[in-house]
Amino acid sequence: MSFAFNEDQLDILREVMNISLGETTANIAQLLGAFGTMHIPEVDIISSKDLQAFIGRDLSPKEDYHVTKQLFSGHFGGEVIFIISKESSLNLAKNMFQAPTTTEDEINDSVMELTNIVTSTIVSRLAAELDVTVQFFAPTSAIMKCVEIVDEEVLSYSTVIVLKTIVDFQDENIVGNIFVLTKDEAIQKLKDLLDKKLEELFA
Amino acid sequence: MIKYILRRFKLKILVVDDSKVARKYILRSIASIGIEAEFREAENGQEALSAYKEERADVVFLDLTMPIMDGYEALREIIAYDKDAQVIVVSADVQSEAKLRVLKDGAKNMYPKPISDEKMRTIFAEDIV
Repeated sequence: MSFAFNEDQLDILREVMNISLGETTANIAQLLGAFGTMHIPEVDIISSKDLQAFIGRDLSPKEDYHVTKQLFSGHFGGEVIFIISKESSLNLAKNMFQAPTTTEDEINDSVMELTNIVTSTIVSRLAAELDVTVQFFAPTSAIMKCVEIVDEEVLSYSTVIVLKTIVDFQDENIVGNIFVLTKDEAIQKLKDLLDKKLEELFA
Repeated sequence: MIKYILRRFKLKILVVDDSKVARKYILRSIASIGIEAEFREAENGQEALSAYKEERADVVFLDLTMPIMDGYEALREIIAYDKDAQVIVVSADVQSEAKLRVLKDGAKNMYPKPISDEKMRTIFAEDIV
């Protein structure tokens, strides 16, 4: 099965993702008590086999990253991977706990909560725009090198919706890489839903 | 008037979320709007249910996505135990379906994460009796 999206489908997906990320930025800004500026997100569809090369373009092979995963299921299902550098996660935890130093547990907790808000807002907004419902599962988190992110489990998904954006919060940069992993059946459902949305818009 | 009298006493508030920072955020917001309260915290639905059965809370702030027992199940269990329980659901899930589901199951209201101080005022002014 082809995972290719046509230009119209990609266009509406980008628009929905823009709305979702705008809402996500507003929510995070409120959480951090800092004004957030979102850069225009890069939205793309790639094969999971190409994900490692894609990740390698932006992430340093020597650095450690917090990698958080959250499963969702329903009318279309999949898994969201949120990647944030250790430096960003430390800044994040200091801000969220309003403390000059933080423990590893607090850093992990901050990253998990940020991920929960980011992924739930993005996916639930996408679902709402497409008039379907999804359910979320609790996220899991681990620290790893970028070459360890794409494992067998990730490769069991066929397609990846790439959402890449940089969110600036005043003095601190929080750079997040978001990947929505989906399987053939889910991607076909997503395409059908996008077509339905297009028909409604241009009816 | 009843609400005014209630505010004269310390409310018992149970905050349920697997994230420590999310619980802290709710506690901070409640304190910042001048509500005097005795707080208890739970990390999942099962802990919340045990805590509620041990001592009823005047208000429960409940997350939905949690390990062991999620917020949907915890809500049903708490309402089955105490049909008058005042449960406010706080979740990053912004789907209307999720809100309809928790309202049907007995929640007083549902708000997207994070809750601003202004929104917290609304909760105590309009949702909680």
